[in-house]
Amino acid sequence: MRATTGAGAGATALQKERRMDSAAAFEKVISIIKPFVKNIEAFKVPTGATRIIEDLGVNSARLVDIILAFEDEFGIAVDDESADRVRTLGDAVQMILQKTAPAH
Amino acid sequence: MERLGLRVQESVSQALILFTYAAVAAWMRFGQRYRIQGLRRAREEFVAQVGRERGPLLICANHLTLIDSLVMQWALAPGWRFARRRCLFAWNLPDKRNLSARWWWRVIGYLGKCIPVVRQGTPEQARQIIDKVAWLLTRGQSVMIFPEGGRSRVGRVDIKNVTYGVGRILQAVPGTRVLCVFLRGGGQKAYSDYPTRGETFVVRLKRITPATVSVGMRGARDLAMQIVGQLSEMETQYFDDAGVDR
Repeated sequence: MRATTGAGAGATALQKERRMDSAAAFEKVISIIKPFVKNIEAFKVPTGATRIIEDLGVNSARLVDIILAFEDEFGIAVDDESADRVRTLGDAVQMILQKTAPAH
Repeated sequence: MERLGLRVQESVSQALILFTYAAVAAWMRFGQRYRIQGLRRAREEFVAQVGRERGPLLICANHLTLIDSLVMQWALAPGWRFARRRCLFAWNLPDKRNLSARWWWRVIGYLGKCIPVVRQGTPEQARQIIDKVAWLLTRGQSVMIFPEGGRSRVGRVDIKNVTYGVGRILQAVPGTRVLCVFLRGGGQKAYSDYPTRGETFVVRLKRITPATVSVGMRGARDLAMQIVGQLSEMETQYFDDAGVDR
């Protein structure tokens, strides 16, 4: 029971760290996207499901600028295919977490 | 299948080029009373800069009205030259919504080698268009493109709203010649559907060789920004020459 609790505590700590990373990435994503947002109303309560083009009114051509800003901010390289998969704020965070995760 | 469609469109367009050109030029010249300032010089300049060479050609232009591509083709060469050199008569990429508005626009668009595009489309749609354009260029065709991605809402070359597709095209077809074309009517104050009747246009050409050490999206952006930067310079020069307060 104790071992289980310990493992659970460890997992919880890991999950918490992961959540913090995710939360930090989300905050940075928000700050990077902010200058490109046209629909300010939808940007007041952003969630992972918020669609960058449809909900926030970001010009699709500006998505490239946003992706390049991610590269600069997080020190990652984003190929065209990965960039094309970024539709929501959650997709952006997910991609950043994947690319910044240490290689095993 | 799409490539077959483009081949058919090219053949039909070429077969009717003299008729199409004459009809559209007559509408502009006599119906709308448009004029090109220094028409002969502009055409000589076009020949001097790209006309005698073979190979892919990307004509990159500023964009203020729905018929810019028509006026530009008229300004760049007479119909007979397009009839002799089919690759010089440029494909262009109008907004699908604009082209669909009237049946005769669709006809003129087809004969005028238009490939309708969905503005603000999905990445997949953008990729398909880039693939089509790249394929045409690899066949030595000319393509006219507006790097601003639409008519400039600010009435000037809008360097803040550049689409980078033009850069991706250049990456896909290395060696493509790039001709920047600046066109503006003397009375054009902002963007519009059509120029004012009786408008006189100024057209300026400059061939450039965009280059970058970057790859991928960053490289595409570099290339696109060099082209739009050139168009912006040409616009500045135009206003300086005209003595207009910008």
